[in-house]
Amino acid sequence: MNKLRILIKFEWLNFRADKGLLILTALALLAGLYGIYYGTTEIERQRENIAALEVLTEQNVEEMKMKYPGDADAGDLGYYHSTFAVNHPDSWAGLSMGQRDLNPYYLKLRLLNLQSQLYDTENINPLKVLSGNFDLAFVLVYLFPLLIIGLCFNILSVEKEQGTLPLLLSQPIGPALIVGAKLVFRIILVLGMALFLSVLAMWWGRVVPDVRVVLWFGVVVLNCLFWFGVAFLVAALQKNSAFNAVTLLGVWLLLTIVIPALLNVYVSVKQPVPQALALTIQQREVVHGGWDKPKGETMEKFFALYPQWRDTAEIEGGFAWRWYYAFQHLGDVAVADLAKSYEEGLYARQQLVNSLNVLSVPVNVQGVLNAMAGSDLPAHLDFLKSASRYHDSLREFYYPFLYRQVPFTHADYAGEPRHSFTGSPDFTTIYSGLAKLLVSVLLVFTAALLLFKIRTVTVK
Amino acid sequence: MNIVLEARELRKQYQDKLALKGLNLQIQAGEIFCLLGQNGAGKSTTINLFLGFITPTSGAAYINGLEVASNVTRVKEYLAYIPENVMLYPNLTGLENLSLFSSLAGFKYAEEELMHYLVQAGLPAEAAGRRVGGYSKGMRQKVGIAIAVAKHAKVLLLDEPTSGLDPKASNEFSELLLKLSDAGTAIFMATHDIFRSKAVGTRVGIMREGELVDVLPAAGLEASELEKLYLNHMHV
Amino acid sequence: MVRSIAKKEFISTLRDSRFMALSILVLLLLLAATIVGLQSYKNLQEERMVAQQTVNEQFANAADRHPHRMAHYGSYAFRPKSGISFLDFGLDSYTGSSVYMEAHRQNSANFSQAQQSTSLIRFGEMTVAFVLQMLIPLLIIFLCFGAFTQEKETGTLKILLSQGISVRELAWAKIAGYSKVVALVVAPALLLVSILQFGRGGFEADGDVFIRLLLFILSYLLYFFIFIVLSVVVSALHQRSATALVSLLGIWILACVIIPKATANLGAGLYTTPTRAWMDAEVHEEVKKRIDGHNSNDERAEALKQELFKKYGVNSLEELPVNFDGIWMAAGEEQSSRVYGEHFDELTAIFEKQNNISEYAGLFNPYLAVRHLSMGAAGSDFSHYVHFLKEAEEYRYNQTQKLNQIQATQLKYGDKETRLSTDTWKAFEPFTYETPDAGWVLKNHVVSVAALLLWLVLVSTAGIKLIEKIKVA
Repeated sequence: MNKLRILIKFEWLNFRADKGLLILTALALLAGLYGIYYGTTEIERQRENIAALEVLTEQNVEEMKMKYPGDADAGDLGYYHSTFAVNHPDSWAGLSMGQRDLNPYYLKLRLLNLQSQLYDTENINPLKVLSGNFDLAFVLVYLFPLLIIGLCFNILSVEKEQGTLPLLLSQPIGPALIVGAKLVFRIILVLGMALFLSVLAMWWGRVVPDVRVVLWFGVVVLNCLFWFGVAFLVAALQKNSAFNAVTLLGVWLLLTIVIPALLNVYVSVKQPVPQALALTIQQREVVHGGWDKPKGETMEKFFALYPQWRDTAEIEGGFAWRWYYAFQHLGDVAVADLAKSYEEGLYARQQLVNSLNVLSVPVNVQGVLNAMAGSDLPAHLDFLKSASRYHDSLREFYYPFLYRQVPFTHADYAGEPRHSFTGSPDFTTIYSGLAKLLVSVLLVFTAALLLFKIRTVTVK
Repeated sequence: MNIVLEARELRKQYQDKLALKGLNLQIQAGEIFCLLGQNGAGKSTTINLFLGFITPTSGAAYINGLEVASNVTRVKEYLAYIPENVMLYPNLTGLENLSLFSSLAGFKYAEEELMHYLVQAGLPAEAAGRRVGGYSKGMRQKVGIAIAVAKHAKVLLLDEPTSGLDPKASNEFSELLLKLSDAGTAIFMATHDIFRSKAVGTRVGIMREGELVDVLPAAGLEASELEKLYLNHMHV
Repeated sequence: MVRSIAKKEFISTLRDSRFMALSILVLLLLLAATIVGLQSYKNLQEERMVAQQTVNEQFANAADRHPHRMAHYGSYAFRPKSGISFLDFGLDSYTGSSVYMEAHRQNSANFSQAQQSTSLIRFGEMTVAFVLQMLIPLLIIFLCFGAFTQEKETGTLKILLSQGISVRELAWAKIAGYSKVVALVVAPALLLVSILQFGRGGFEADGDVFIRLLLFILSYLLYFFIFIVLSVVVSALHQRSATALVSLLGIWILACVIIPKATANLGAGLYTTPTRAWMDAEVHEEVKKRIDGHNSNDERAEALKQELFKKYGVNSLEELPVNFDGIWMAAGEEQSSRVYGEHFDELTAIFEKQNNISEYAGLFNPYLAVRHLSMGAAGSDFSHYVHFLKEAEEYRYNQTQKLNQIQATQLKYGDKETRLSTDTWKAFEPFTYETPDAGWVLKNHVVSVAALLLWLVLVSTAGIKLIEKIKVA
């Protein structure tokens, strides 16, 4: 142990004196700091934007009150008045933004047909979302492996190439100790940085300190260890530094870019979701067909779903709001199957990815981090479900006004339901991801150790 | 008799070449054994076998009575090694390099002591604090000597240690070797230098194509005689 | 002498089994990317064409309706994939594929591929462009990192120079040799891509597609050449192969992974994107200030009425030869569309400012330059997306106004009951979309073209100068 300490101390001296390594480490640290800054400010901006929606809602209510100074017809309000379903970011979202930049984090809703409103998108710059987020998760999943590769690609080969290995091995220490000490030093350094950045991000982002703190540390540590294991495995091959560098970068490329890209193709072929366009087309047909159908037929269908309004006054004349909203709603009912299979298709995609992510540690880690921050696809789908329920509650709020033909007074605005949703962490994904990650780490270290044992270290 | 370095029927077979053909050798404490031979004669193979850097095909090497192949790490407590071309950590100073290697060998020297070893080996004191990256080959060689001396080993394995040293430094190195052998260190030196072998050696061995073809006592041998003998062996 | 050195580099590379293995791997990936790209292109294109046809037929066969009802019924625009977008998906996966076009409202483009994907898509997509942009440079680095360091390490550099060749000639010889190797790897793939492209269209030599393909291929050839020279320069500046390799890999990571993301993020950070909700609210406010298509009882409606009364010399709406409802609706549509158009332009201006950071960063990073050019040539860049949105909006506007016109001329004032026959709808031209021509693409990406050319000049002058100054001994 004493010798291990000596070796580690001299690794530190060597590291301190190596400008290249210092620059590399400083760059990684800077990238981490920027990632924290970027993630938290971006989420802060989303929070501000969500807060601003309340202002808009209020303005809208004011406008309605101006427009209808006395009692209003709830039907007019259903048409002209809008509220928002909002998907608040979880306190952890700044650390791993996931799909939050891609999917809208709020929906503007009116009493109209829901399916025509549910898939509206936010103003997003496609080039920006294509390039992705420079958040802490990106730094940990993409860049830390590169840092580890940069620190470890010549862990053993450099001793051979600079010729120090013979002199070193003429001391009473074995090659295992030398490689071990170098790995330990680098692991301490990298884990120190990763954990420092994580703590900083948690503090800066003011996250809710729950069990996720421990889980996050666990993922970060295991992720780094996995890459150290890969570097160790390649070092155990005892090739030269150039070979190691190319091989390690190749592994990185394979795991972080090529395999995910191929998986993406596989998933979209295996689990297509073509319902989207059909859904949007059919929904329009049904809704607009409503105008052409006899009112009695439409209302009959609607009353079958809402028998409590059956005994209300009969519709007279050409137009009545309750009839209008009835066929709007029937439009949703007509495409409910399509909407459901669309949603299920997306869930199934996520499921498929969850079962395939054993093939790539970065995919797995990214998935776990997103699941932790409630910023993945399932979290968005949960938001859409919640928005649907909100739309239901809006309809239920307005139906009494419409069917009992009660005037909508200024006091009634306050009674309108408001929506708030915050994605919750998906612990099933987190735990299964962690388990897989642990297995990956164990596998790669076992392989490395075996290979290291089998191949005796040569001095040249 | 205190035999600290021994080879018994030591053989090393590489894929296409028999590098060492059953070497038998015993070297006592205080003895300086110089091994002469052409490039590829098997000198470095012998040293590498004693160091445990390679494993013998058959036979065994012993250091201080311990079989090398089965005690790879332990035997290194008893030996010190100076390679033909001493390579050090370029980003560390000479002093730091020495400090690293001697602490690995289990010695905790104060800075003055480390300086003493470096200066004794011939390194200018002002160079000791500079990074090794800027050293000449001779300066690195001197740090290598200091590392070996500071280890106070029973056996010193030298592979062309004076290559890259100027004549004056070589001479000082020879004197150092004599002093070490007086103190009881066994020295095994592979070299091309017939004259220095004669000057410092207790015994001189001549190796050819993996075989120790002759062993002569250095005392009472003229350098010119040794050269003639050597060349004779080479031209068989 | 130069020729014989180039030949030596070429032959010795071909004899390097590791390089050959890597090349075959890259070629296989290129092939896979081509197949994947074509397949996905076909699927998406068919899905959208079927959808477009369906809505077109629905519109043409719609029941007898009041024209304003028809205006609300509206149409859809499904964005067709550009012909060679199978080479570079670009932004296509992140942009919505369908726009619902109705009266009074400009809807967002919905249902992007990315929204229907898990976080997998954020790792990047397997396209021909991806292989060409990221993997071939790696191959080039692997090929060239030892260009000079190896000669230094083995001492052959001094021997070569003692034969009377200059360092400059040696550098060009090596560049020529490596270029030949890279051409050997890339040419079959590019040829295959071209054949596939024109084979698909049954050799209907579409001039524009041909120019786009040419632009695509030329940009990449330039890019590869820049990378080759750059690698040789870096190799010359190093003493050891290992350090040269590490430097080059560092450059690759910076240029291909970190900078693209950082510049896009920086752009979005510098220029704030307004949310859609705010934009809609502002449009609404402004329109309200000017005119409102559904509320005919304010002053502006009165003014328009008086204007019409004067024009036709009548005193009441009923007497007007045209239907005021339609006229009023048309005026409203015109106003709201203009206001929306202004805001939409502001928004795209903001996006363009954000994207310009990336585009101009191409001057420092050839990867970005080639990426923009590649997307442009493939028709999957930002300007193509905006072009489509504008076309859709124009169609929406014209359709709505035409229906308003029908209402103004064929229906009486206050008539909400008359339904026009389905033949009326058949007279409407369905939405079609034509991709702009290659010249338009070049105009949009002048900066990237300039950046690539600048890099070409830079590496072949300053780069070679640097090589000339290296210390041989």
